[in-house]
Amino acid sequence: MSAVAPAQAGSHGFFAMLAPGGRRALFILAAIAVCLLFAFPIFWLVLTSLRPGSGVYYVHRGTEFTIENFHEVLSQPVVLKALWNSFAISTLATIMSLGVTVTSGYMLSRFKGPIPNTWFSLIYVFRCVPYVSWVLPLYFVTLKLGIFDTYWGLLLPHVAVHICFFSWIMKGFFDGIDPSMEYAAMIDGCSRWGAFVRVALPSAIPGLTALAILCWLYTWNEFLFALILTSHETPILTVVMAQFVHELGMEWHLMSATAVLALGPALIVTLFGQKYVIRGLKV
Amino acid sequence: MAEVVLTDIQKSYGTVVAVKDFSLEIKDHEFVVLVGPSGCGKSTTLRMIAGLEDITGGTIAIGDRVVNHLQPKDRDIAMVFQNYALYQHMSVRDNLAFGLRNRRVPETEIEAAIAHAARILSIEPLLARRPRQLSGGQQQRVALGRCIVRNPKVFLFDEPLSNLDAQLRAQMRLELKELRLRVPTTSIFVTHDQVEAMTLGDRIVVMKDGLVQQVGTPLELFRKPANRFVASFIGSPAMNFIDLRVAVDGDRIELTREGVALALPARRFPDLGRLAGGKAWVGIRPQHLKLGRPSGNDQIGLKGTLMVTEQLGHEQIVVVRVGRQDIRVAGIDPDLSLATGSEIEACAAIDNLHVFDAQADGASIGVGAPLAEGSIRTELPDRLPP
Repeated sequence: MSAVAPAQAGSHGFFAMLAPGGRRALFILAAIAVCLLFAFPIFWLVLTSLRPGSGVYYVHRGTEFTIENFHEVLSQPVVLKALWNSFAISTLATIMSLGVTVTSGYMLSRFKGPIPNTWFSLIYVFRCVPYVSWVLPLYFVTLKLGIFDTYWGLLLPHVAVHICFFSWIMKGFFDGIDPSMEYAAMIDGCSRWGAFVRVALPSAIPGLTALAILCWLYTWNEFLFALILTSHETPILTVVMAQFVHELGMEWHLMSATAVLALGPALIVTLFGQKYVIRGLKV
Repeated sequence: MAEVVLTDIQKSYGTVVAVKDFSLEIKDHEFVVLVGPSGCGKSTTLRMIAGLEDITGGTIAIGDRVVNHLQPKDRDIAMVFQNYALYQHMSVRDNLAFGLRNRRVPETEIEAAIAHAARILSIEPLLARRPRQLSGGQQQRVALGRCIVRNPKVFLFDEPLSNLDAQLRAQMRLELKELRLRVPTTSIFVTHDQVEAMTLGDRIVVMKDGLVQQVGTPLELFRKPANRFVASFIGSPAMNFIDLRVAVDGDRIELTREGVALALPARRFPDLGRLAGGKAWVGIRPQHLKLGRPSGNDQIGLKGTLMVTEQLGHEQIVVVRVGRQDIRVAGIDPDLSLATGSEIEACAAIDNLHVFDAQADGASIGVGAPLAEGSIRTELPDRLPP
């Protein structure tokens, strides 16, 4: 403690010495530095996707740019199919997960007794199990159920993971909503379920939107489940992207072009929802 | 228009008893206040009447219906919550209309009810706003409006003024008094603030540890508290209590303790004699004590050292150490100069003394002056024109 205190006092003194304008300039510089740090890999990715196959190792020196890589990946039916599959599975998983997570989070937040306690413990136990260790058992389960390499084979594990992770967050959102609003609704003529649907749920919309976006992005970016639980019938974008690394070499230009394609929808979803995510996570 | 009859209401959470044997008959249009410290079971009782908590035993009747197993929506009640509980995603107008729309009341009637409530509460300019755009006082008015539009049999108030600052609370208290004259409805009001209880209630129910301590009009509770707890809870500043040993000497009862000696005529406290050899608490309200020597047989005197003075502008309150016990004396001339540490004497009329049994959980043994018949208002107020 004693070692920390003088250091804090010193840094405080340094900032105090700066003029207000200087402080702002320093802050802006720091913000730009952080932005560059995060933006640079994306910038490099886009640059690589626009270079011919021979020039990917000289991205910074080359002058030759092409959109041929995009033509090439988009002419491969597997990429188009994977784009659609990833989009459909992300969207369906989000809808299904939210359907369960909202009611599950609400129950954990508002009710006490053996059922919520058991449910809470169950989720807790599943959360404690490392995510990776689920994959192999799930592979055998999907094989046994005959849903390997199908939408259901990937959807159900995703939904299960989301329920475990997001029920907690949803509980937090509902904890932040005053339950007396629901009591007032019950006195005003609603049933318990009616009070949930008409009062609690609309109040949780910022949180719900944030969760929907996180859920969608999580599924869209997910690789491990997709790699193990799908094959040729249901190609997924993250797996298809990785397949540009093969025994004959690494097609960085094609991989980058596919990655840029994958970036598009995620970027749209993030831009659309960022204010909800920030508001939701502040609840 | 309804009576509320509570008979032997019980509420337990496992082995913890929150409310025990609560019985009360509330008359039509009566305003009853449940008051007590935190955790005394007053809010639980209100929530049981509302149907938000199941009851463990007893019956609740509203009007001529037993409502024990009815949903809150079917009990024909309205409730104001401590934190207003307005629907944040709706406008004020929709908040007011919500209950009526649920009951499929025609829109024209809803509009008329909203206009009526908004006029009574002066919230017409706020109808298009969202709750979070309103101040605390405005939100509480909207919450009241939500009750009024429904025209229910019973209003329930769960500490509705607790979240307001002191000035606004005093103003809302007056508005509530006026409102109940305009919209006379059977009301049950929960608070931990004895001033709210005294000023608003036709009758007050004092609770502690899930048990009813006393039910009575504000004056009854003030003048004739049933036990030491009620005596200490009602009245501000709180009543002084002096812990004394009891001895009987003919027709005099002597109460003594280090530095304190009081002699009371036995005929004024006929039940006190049975505590001979035991202990009693003598209670004196700070307002009933005066500085100076006792001026006759009907007064008692207490000598002590002046410890602290509190200047309030319109009066001074002083703390006097009598023996080992501190007592407060209120209503002292604010211009009177008093030196702390000086010896001082205070006196009080025997009429104003309360005596409590120290062995029987502070049960009242007697009051110097019994209540005169008809001294307490029990009739309900007249209705004001709307």
